[in-house]
Amino acid sequence: MNHDEIKSVVQEKFLSSERVTAFLCDAKVLHPEWVKKDRLLAIVEFGDEKAVFCLFTSCYPPKSFTDLSIEIVLPIDKSFKCEIDNKPSDPEAILYLNLQSRSNKYKFEIQMTPRVDNFVDDLFRGIEAVNKVPTQPDFVWLKKYSGKINNDILTHTMALPGGVPHTQTSAPVAIRESLIKHKMSDKEYEYTFTKKFSIFCGTWNVNDKSPVIPLKGWLSVDREPPDIYAVGFQELDLSKETFLFDQTFREDEWYNAVLNFVDKRAKYVKVEKVRLVGMMLIVLIKAKHFSHVRNVVCDTVGTGIMGKMGNKGGVSIRFDLHSTSMCFVNSHLAAHVEEFERRNQDFRDICSRTRFVQPNQLPKAIKDHDHVYWLGDLNYRITELDPTTVKKLCNENNFVPVLEKDQLKQQHKLNNVFAGYIEGEINFKPTYKYDPGTDNWDSSEKNRAPAWCDRIFWRGQNIIQLGYRSHPSLNISDHKPVSAIFNSSIKIIDEEKYRKVYEEVIKQLDKMENELIPQVKVDRTEIDFETVRYLELQVRTITIKNIGKLPVEFEFIKKLDETSFCKEWLIVEPYKKCICAEETCEIQLKVLINKTSACKMNAGTDKLYDILVLHLYGGKDIFITINGTYQRSCFGCSIEVLVNLNMPIKEVPVGKLIELENKRDSCVSNQSTYSIPKEIWFLVDHIYLHGLKEPNLFEQPGFHSEILQIRDWLDSGSIDPIPGSIHSVAEALLLLLESTADPIIPYNLQSVCLRASANYLQCKQIIMELPEFRKNVFLYLCEFLQEALQHSAENGLDSKTLSTLFGAIFLRDNPNQTQEPQSRINKQVIDKKKAQFVYHFLVNDHSDLIFSR
Amino acid sequence: MAREFDHLFKLLIIGDSGVGKSCLLLRFADNTFSGSYITTIGVDFKIRTLEINGERVKLQIWDTAGQERFRTITSTYYRGTHGVIVVYDVTNGESFANVKRWLHEIEQNCDVVNKVLVGNKNDCPSRKVVVTEDAQRFANQMNIPLFETSAKENINVEEMFLTITKMVLRSKLEMKERQNVTKDTVHLKNNIKTKKKCC
Repeated sequence: MNHDEIKSVVQEKFLSSERVTAFLCDAKVLHPEWVKKDRLLAIVEFGDEKAVFCLFTSCYPPKSFTDLSIEIVLPIDKSFKCEIDNKPSDPEAILYLNLQSRSNKYKFEIQMTPRVDNFVDDLFRGIEAVNKVPTQPDFVWLKKYSGKINNDILTHTMALPGGVPHTQTSAPVAIRESLIKHKMSDKEYEYTFTKKFSIFCGTWNVNDKSPVIPLKGWLSVDREPPDIYAVGFQELDLSKETFLFDQTFREDEWYNAVLNFVDKRAKYVKVEKVRLVGMMLIVLIKAKHFSHVRNVVCDTVGTGIMGKMGNKGGVSIRFDLHSTSMCFVNSHLAAHVEEFERRNQDFRDICSRTRFVQPNQLPKAIKDHDHVYWLGDLNYRITELDPTTVKKLCNENNFVPVLEKDQLKQQHKLNNVFAGYIEGEINFKPTYKYDPGTDNWDSSEKNRAPAWCDRIFWRGQNIIQLGYRSHPSLNISDHKPVSAIFNSSIKIIDEEKYRKVYEEVIKQLDKMENELIPQVKVDRTEIDFETVRYLELQVRTITIKNIGKLPVEFEFIKKLDETSFCKEWLIVEPYKKCICAEETCEIQLKVLINKTSACKMNAGTDKLYDILVLHLYGGKDIFITINGTYQRSCFGCSIEVLVNLNMPIKEVPVGKLIELENKRDSCVSNQSTYSIPKEIWFLVDHIYLHGLKEPNLFEQPGFHSEILQIRDWLDSGSIDPIPGSIHSVAEALLLLLESTADPIIPYNLQSVCLRASANYLQCKQIIMELPEFRKNVFLYLCEFLQEALQHSAENGLDSKTLSTLFGAIFLRDNPNQTQEPQSRINKQVIDKKKAQFVYHFLVNDHSDLIFSR
Repeated sequence: MAREFDHLFKLLIIGDSGVGKSCLLLRFADNTFSGSYITTIGVDFKIRTLEINGERVKLQIWDTAGQERFRTITSTYYRGTHGVIVVYDVTNGESFANVKRWLHEIEQNCDVVNKVLVGNKNDCPSRKVVVTEDAQRFANQMNIPLFETSAKENINVEEMFLTITKMVLRSKLEMKERQNVTKDTVHLKNNIKTKKKCC
């Protein structure tokens, strides 16, 4: 898709009366919350009013106007401001465009392309135009584009400080690229060597003459043929036609003459030839060097009439020879004896207006080159000595007193012209003005002092001038030709060394990048909790130290196919945090085996072992191994296992316990089984004997430490009396009942129970059909609770409270069953039904059930 | 224009604990070697940029924990890997015997992937127990290039990484070509169809 096709797509986004006058693709908006890329900037004109639109393109290039959405509208009104700056790291490729209209500021990043000039020109034209009209335009046509969304964006961004700092927005890619460039230029000397090239510079004002004489005496006088010829002419053709139409047959005449009379010992090819009216510059190079010449560009600047015309000015050619950039300038500066200020101005104008434009690069100026050779008819004169004295001194070859009065020497010394340039010593007679065809000074009536109008200057490192002379024998003009020969060091890249240095730089950058990868030190990666007991919280701490150079964000992440980053019995705090460089963070790892995890530990379906993955954002993962031994307890055992244990659980081998848990469903009573677990009996019996009259029985919580003592008492089969208060014993009983692998009434019967809850007979029927040991426990506990209710006057219990409490325990919800989220009301109904179910057995005599056993 | 790299490849280093996986990576990425042994507990990575046939290739090389207990976790890091470096220790016969298991691991967790077999610590002939011929025979049988390296003495490390990178690059370019060919074929078929209609 070419530019015009895209333009027509953009135009479709607008009304036909709203004309897209310029647009830019590939713009990026710099806004912390917006996607950076895929913006298109367009200038749209409606009548005399213009506005800048920023459009988001959903695909690039946009195929239809539906791919575009208008994001920002900035009317070019009197408040509109536009600032342009370069990206410091990449000044030749990226521009920043700061646009401000009313109180909205935006910054855009744009690629440096030739289109940018057009766009910016159009933008400035718009700004100029709006500032010329006395009244503020009203921009009614924009109203339809600033819909609600846009308004939001606009007001939202108003709060932002204008301009986003470069460092935050530059992509790392660009940083790396420019670092490579920078480092390579730092190390240039390591991979470049220099080679001497001889350079011939010649200048001649030919005063409208054709090349009727041989030029050998000017162009081919040195011992060795030069590597490069730069030959400049002025006043090739003084005809009006040339001035007006810039066409002349003399161009070819003189060009061919030069080709004919360059040193015949070498073969030369043209690098470039450029002409503006009477000024022509030809650069030739030895054919063998031609393949090392790249990026040849020329430019012309007129400083003549109106400061623009080409009767005076400069023509220039730039190119790269190996790795040295070279620039040759041929200029013809303002004439007239007294006008040295004008000549200085012409020089400055040529310097500032000469622009070498290359694709994908910022234009280069003359000063941007390693070597500059400036030749031409510079037209500076001698005014402070009378003509007779000048002629006399010059005839005696006594040039020093005359040169002291040379305007150019004086102006150069004052840095008013050719600052930074060097000129060699002049040891030749003034080159102007002669009677054509002779070596005689001008004999006309004006009687002006002779002058060194024709000069050669240079600028740059490692340039040695070997000769600077005039060639009086070429006498067809009123000027004599001048030439200089230079020995210049040209930088050449050693490809082999370059590659090595390049690799080195890349390696260095890789190393830097590797050093920026987050690095932490974890004081230990294996955490052993040793012995862990039921309901006893254990805490270990690990320390993470950020030993990298940047802040690190860590998070414990899930392993593949797992729902949580750690096992349910583990708590990690914090599991996610940012640590600044050099700082540390303590992470607490807490293990708690509670009623849900205890039964899994007992059944051997889970163990105290886990590997955590500690992930550093943008960096590595560290594995942290968690280890421990769970001391099995009667808490978390199923009823069927407990009735089989006729010794304290502590003395039961782990393997036996796991085996019993695994076949608990097939457990039947025999001589060695208890009818109910002895642990339940111990606890109930204790309350029965010592606590039935205890106020707030089952309602007041016990003490955690006492519950742990009771746990140990039960697990070790102690013969001491049960430790702890009645309330602790009561709570331990509830905990024991809650932590069994299955509830007293199996999960699969729960819904049946709930449906039957209103009907005592049906409830009784269900209980009759319970597995043997569950039924025993159920009836035993109900008997006990009925007993407790007998003492309600003292202990304050009532059948409603107890049935609610035990309903929730006997008919425990299945934690593994993912239920549809219950509404609060629904849950209340279910809880009520559970209580109702149990209630029957607390208020009715059910001794028939017991006898039926 | 600015371009950081033309290709980004993920390489994975696997093998028994203590065979020198981290040292190989350290040698290749930072050109350093540390004699003290720090076992890798987790997965770490480093980057390095190479230029191959004028194409800039950025490598992200993952170093994994070799310990048995981490095997199930580390296998999850195989995804999206372009090349795998299977390392054994030439002074440790068991580590060579386990190479088969590691290769199996790759098969289980990766699609088609380029592999190289690396016998590291090849710097002390008197301690070498896995002879080159045996290793080479096995490598040939498995159709995997073999490299005997020493991260310590910087022997063959660069060459090994370069080879796997070139292999990965070649596979990628071949894949692209194949896709282009299929596109062309589709194109051709369409042409044939239209021709038939015309007739």
